[in-house]
Amino acid sequence: MDTALKYAVIDPATGKIDRRIFSDQAIYDDEMEKIFGRAWLMIGHESLVPSPDDYFHTYMGEDPVILTRDGQGRLHALLNMCRHRGNRVVRCDDGNAKRFMCSYHGWTYRNDGTLEHVPGKTEAYYDELDMASLGLIEARVETYAGIIFATWAKDAPSLEAYLGDARWYLDTVFNRLDGGMQAMGPLKWLEPANWKTMVDNCSDNYHVPTSHISSAAVQSRFLGRPRLSHEDQFASPNKHVFVNGHALTFRDADDNAPRYVHGVSDKIMQMFKEYHEATMPEVERRLGTLRARRVQLGNHSIFPNGILGFRLALPRGPLRTEFWHFVLLDRDAPEELKRAIRIGSQANNGAAGMFEQDDVDNWRQVTDASTSRMARGLPQDLSMGVGHAGLHADYPGVVSERYISENNQRLFYMRWEQFMNAGSWGDIPLEPMKARFEGSATMRG
Amino acid sequence: MTEQQALWLELMPFYIREAWLLDERRFKEWVDLFTDDVLYFMPRRKNVPRREAHRELTELGDLAIFEEDKRYLEMRVARLDTGMAWAEDPPSRTRHMIGNLEAAFLENGEVEARTAFLVYRSHLETDHQLLSGCREDTLRKVDGGWKVAKRTIVLDANVLLDKNLSVFL
Ligand code: FES
Ligand SMILES: [Fe+2]
Repeated sequence: MDTALKYAVIDPATGKIDRRIFSDQAIYDDEMEKIFGRAWLMIGHESLVPSPDDYFHTYMGEDPVILTRDGQGRLHALLNMCRHRGNRVVRCDDGNAKRFMCSYHGWTYRNDGTLEHVPGKTEAYYDELDMASLGLIEARVETYAGIIFATWAKDAPSLEAYLGDARWYLDTVFNRLDGGMQAMGPLKWLEPANWKTMVDNCSDNYHVPTSHISSAAVQSRFLGRPRLSHEDQFASPNKHVFVNGHALTFRDADDNAPRYVHGVSDKIMQMFKEYHEATMPEVERRLGTLRARRVQLGNHSIFPNGILGFRLALPRGPLRTEFWHFVLLDRDAPEELKRAIRIGSQANNGAAGMFEQDDVDNWRQVTDASTSRMARGLPQDLSMGVGHAGLHADYPGVVSERYISENNQRLFYMRWEQFMNAGSWGDIPLEPMKARFEGSATMRG
Repeated sequence: MTEQQALWLELMPFYIREAWLLDERRFKEWVDLFTDDVLYFMPRRKNVPRREAHRELTELGDLAIFEEDKRYLEMRVARLDTGMAWAEDPPSRTRHMIGNLEAAFLENGEVEARTAFLVYRSHLETDHQLLSGCREDTLRKVDGGWKVAKRTIVLDANVLLDKNLSVFL
């Protein structure tokens, strides 16, 4: 390891990580600057602001941001901070408005951020206020298949380059159909855990048979779904792959099986199979045969804080994270199927979700272990599968030999180091895009 | 005594008993208080302008916090018995305070009953949370006793402050 670098928190050969990264306020403050101030962050979905003048209130890290669609249909991500003294100009979760009036002194902004009206512009400011320079601060916005990303970094690469070949896998869920997806949510709650643990957990399929044993057991009894035993997980054809900073898992099986959906019954599974087969020609046209038939994205995270698709781990201090749960549905799927998937998603994920509620105390204690004297000096052990991952003939990225591995987690913390040690975007490596994107799907959908 | 007052006197003990069942962790008896066709529903609650108050609660069909049928409720209860439902093992200590009952008969003989609740949850060493809200129930007489055929739970929170919502309301 290069000892000249400020952050050397993981030893790739042993998988030991310095657990102070979960609790130290100074490191957290640096993360806000070097990660959340630079990366492309998921902030919303086009379906949350479908019409002109719609807005949706969201966050980039801890910064409150108004996602707007202006009268011309263009998207904007605006810092929700009045340029006068800093009051928020929006206090609602969503709505439709052409302009936002600050409730402190009445400065009023158009929904593209322009400062339009200042009370006393002449009488109090002598017409000397430079209104053109006092619009709401705007972030760069780009979309991928309806998911809206934003970055504060002027020197950031394109979103396409940022996602890189990870999109080759992401497309198998988010870019599957001509009609695109629709988002519902969020359900928001505060978890007493560091944000990174939730992100790293997206590639942790090792925890599933233990953490979720009670829910898996009753769902197998009541709904006939698989039990998710250790044996199942160890024998799974799924793969674990790290691509350009993003940690993914996918099902690699040429059995044309529908994507696994949390908590659905046998009957719904049958409906899902029929839908899957009916849409397969469209999916093949959009993604090519290999991806349509053989690759199904599973649990994954998009660097830094995107969790299982469009769900967000919003940092709120080293020991706290505001979690936002959304469900994404194929917009044109039969209503009955959409309902089943939504209910499966909300029954299993979210604050009350049968699966997700059992994660929280584990995550929080991983964080808490970094706060006491003896415990914080002891590293986390992420050694599983060291030396058992590499390039693959068919699949982009670094593919683990086994599904159950901590390779993605090691690489996630190494990606974290790359951001934290970089002076600017120019120092952050991007992998060249090498995957063959067969089919008609593009970044735009 | 009016019919309304008689109904109030009949229902208040029902709600008190339900609270004790929950706080004494007698969940199998608790789940028996619901009809087989129950909908146990908790919408999300949004910040919207006062004049758009109709948008404050998300509708049935939108992403909800709970939208459970009897089978899902039974599954949640059965989970606790596995001894490995980690969110509730060791279990939460809860206290359900139910009040402000208003009830009226519907034309079909069912009853619409509104109550307010304060639920205190203490978990593990120092975790604790006060959940406040109201329940809007549709009650039906089944075999001589009242059962809940539909429950809508409205929490007085936008961002839930608790680490999870693993207790019943
Ligand atoms: S702070 Fe917004 S107008 Fe003064
Ligand atoms: Fe989990």
